Amino acid sequence: MSDYLHIQNIHKDFSGLKVLTGVEFKVKEKERHAVIGPNGAGKTTLFNIISGKFKPSSGAILFKGQDISGKPPHVLNRLGLSRSFQITNVFQELSVFNNILAGVRSHYGLRYHFFKKPDRDRNICERVEAIIDEVGLMDVKDQPANSLSYGKQRALEIGITLSTEPELILLDEPTAGMTREETNQAIKMINQVTAGRTLIIIEHDMEVVFSLANTISVLHYGTILVSDTPEKIRNDQRVKDAYLGEG
Amino acid sequence: MPLILKQYHLNMLTEIIIFALFAVSYNLLLGYAGLLSFGHAMFFGLGAFMTAVAIIHIPGLALWNAILIGVVTTIIAGFVIGSLLLRHKGAYFALLTLAFNALFYAVATKWHSVTGGDDGLSITRPDLSLGFTSISMASLTHFYYLTLIIVGAAIVFCWYFTHTAMGKTVLLMRENEERMKFLGYNTNISRLLLFTFTGAVAGLAGSFYTLHFQFVSISAISVDMTTAVLLMAFVGGTKTFWGPILGAFVYIILQNYLSNITDRWPLFMGFIFVSMVLFIPGGLSEVIMNIRQRLFGKKDNNGGKSAASEEV
Repeated sequence: MSDYLHIQNIHKDFSGLKVLTGVEFKVKEKERHAVIGPNGAGKTTLFNIISGKFKPSSGAILFKGQDISGKPPHVLNRLGLSRSFQITNVFQELSVFNNILAGVRSHYGLRYHFFKKPDRDRNICERVEAIIDEVGLMDVKDQPANSLSYGKQRALEIGITLSTEPELILLDEPTAGMTREETNQAIKMINQVTAGRTLIIIEHDMEVVFSLANTISVLHYGTILVSDTPEKIRNDQRVKDAYLGEG
Repeated sequence: MPLILKQYHLNMLTEIIIFALFAVSYNLLLGYAGLLSFGHAMFFGLGAFMTAVAIIHIPGLALWNAILIGVVTTIIAGFVIGSLLLRHKGAYFALLTLAFNALFYAVATKWHSVTGGDDGLSITRPDLSLGFTSISMASLTHFYYLTLIIVGAAIVFCWYFTHTAMGKTVLLMRENEERMKFLGYNTNISRLLLFTFTGAVAGLAGSFYTLHFQFVSISAISVDMTTAVLLMAFVGGTKTFWGPILGAFVYIILQNYLSNITDRWPLFMGFIFVSMVLFIPGGLSEVIMNIRQRLFGKKDNNGGKSAASEEV
């Protein structure tokens, strides 16, 4: 049986600047995989390549045996892959409900319909409310996104990521900029909403990593240094030298 | 209403309804999708010319079919041109639409045998056949009712469109196109569909324009016509659906009134528009909304930034 997700020898140059130099790792189905590494290691670039924002200079990404590298984001989303953004990327002027609705109706195939009103569909509206409830935004359902607190905007970011019912979720530093208390809440929420799905997460906060992930890959200067269980990563001398030791 | 109005006013009212549809279709691009087109008259003019050409060359052509030919041609043209433009936004989109409009204008001017060139084309409105009976369209009142029903229905559908999945997709793309891509939307296809749709609606308006005046000249497909619709949208305000309708109303009335008192009417129109854009950039609809707000203390929860997104 082939692997669920296999990142194969991914290279990425930005006009001569080599950001990724042969990234290679595998993710099993339902795994909770964290990618860690120092600033500038290429974590977000790797995410942008997996989610289709950038094309890799070379290499392949096998998702359930199919090479998905270089496919545009909307195609990848329909294959079941969804990502969040490090810098909150929501529909600022729209209500929480309408933010989530955008993704839910896309999943239900109501993208370009010239006659149907998406907010008149009961299944869609129920699903939207369920997601809002899951990410804990029920009390601000009708408020515009730009009026929410930072923590709630981050929750909305995750809600939008969930709204297309992905089986593979990529979260780019979901707790960045949060207070400790907000972070703890976010960890709990992420654990709940991603249950039963495959999760890849980029994180700086080691507490978040060790409480969410069951496999960790360490990205260092454009390649994967090691990919293993949290316990082994904690005790790995190379990782200590390259990354953990510094903090 | 026609009972109490003079023929002159009925004529003007018909014209207003036709231009209201044209302006509404234009505002779906400008106000809703944030796409500034300088070429919307190519669809208006194409619809206008195709209807005229069809009536002249196909003897006994039914009124419905004359309109249909105009609209179908603009759908095809919108799809083809849209396919070439859909990757472009902002200034490139504006300039490319202007170039296409100029191309259409050049064809209309030079292809004398078909379009009549500078002389234009004169037609006689075919009668409206309803199967069991036929209604004479020589009567201005009859044609007014036909326009009110068909063009009015098209305006209502455009309003409905802004609440449909596609209409909201357009708004969401203006808000955050990148996120839409990551939610499974093909934003290029969305833009193409919108461009084709607004082109077809402009084509319908153009078709009625020909039927109304029973004449079409190259001015219908000129950049001047694009400027006219741009001004209607701006005067009325691009941030509401009904703004451009109001804009068309004011524009046509002003034009008729000023051209009655002076030959220099474009100069005065120009003055009025320059001062409008300078002093009330949100258009008349913004003025009305502000007055309503003061009178009833209704809070504008969008900070006045984008009333169109309120309707999402």
